[in-house]
Amino acid sequence: MSELLVETRQVEEITLIYPRGYINAHTVRLFEGEIQKALQQNRFKIVVNCAGLAYIASAGLGAIMGAIEEIRGNGGDLRLSELNETVRNIFEILGFNHLYRIFPSEVEAIMSFRGEGTAA
Amino acid sequence: MRSAPLRSGEPRLRLVFPSETSFLGLVRDVSRKMAEGAGFDASTASRIALAVDEAATNVLEHAYHGAPDRLVEIRYRDDGLDFEVDVCDAGDRVDPRDVPKVDLRQYANERRTGGLGVHLMGKIMDRVTFRRSRGRNVCCLVKRRPTPMAAS
Repeated sequence: MSELLVETRQVEEITLIYPRGYINAHTVRLFEGEIQKALQQNRFKIVVNCAGLAYIASAGLGAIMGAIEEIRGNGGDLRLSELNETVRNIFEILGFNHLYRIFPSEVEAIMSFRGEGTAA
Repeated sequence: MRSAPLRSGEPRLRLVFPSETSFLGLVRDVSRKMAEGAGFDASTASRIALAVDEAATNVLEHAYHGAPDRLVEIRYRDDGLDFEVDVCDAGDRVDPRDVPKVDLRQYANERRTGGLGVHLMGKIMDRVTFRRSRGRNVCCLVKRRPTPMAAS
């Protein structure tokens, strides 16, 4: 069984990315590829729903950091939702919770973009 | 199968695997099991497993530069006070002083993605040391064991 599956769907102007499983140095290209696909399509409002994410190593955090400047430079943002305790703890250890907006639910993450109008 | 009991200071387990990222999942799972066996709760054991994963990833990327035909050895020790994991390789000398301190905001601005692993290891473990021994790099990760409950 694959260590990581990543699904993506679009809700209006927002791209929702669903990583399921484990993100490490072996699997990170798959996750990074989904983020890059969104950027290539000029979709800069991204929610990563982490409900199915069991584990993330620094490779995965690096994939997010490597894309965030381009995303925010184009008026968008990458926001996260539904982190389990293990993943949230890793984010907090690194202080990522101060750099990225994290929401308890996907709906709240989506609504946070809608509340900002067209210029995120 | 060994016939003599473990001597003091001898690793409880040695894991030797090829320098391929496909083995990192195994490293994570074994490390978590070993940490749980040493008495850490599930959450702490998961973090220890992450630290070992990061050390092994550093070996693959920086000591072996992605070559898949080398070997990595991980030794797990538990001396009753400390849970210790040595991650060993025979690759290029890696000097941890070359790894810049992580400033997350600067990272985001500069689109840098490296160095997070060493930073994480230091945040998770009580002690992280690097040494060169007999032509091998040894990254030693130490986590103090939880204080045992008073005997009932």
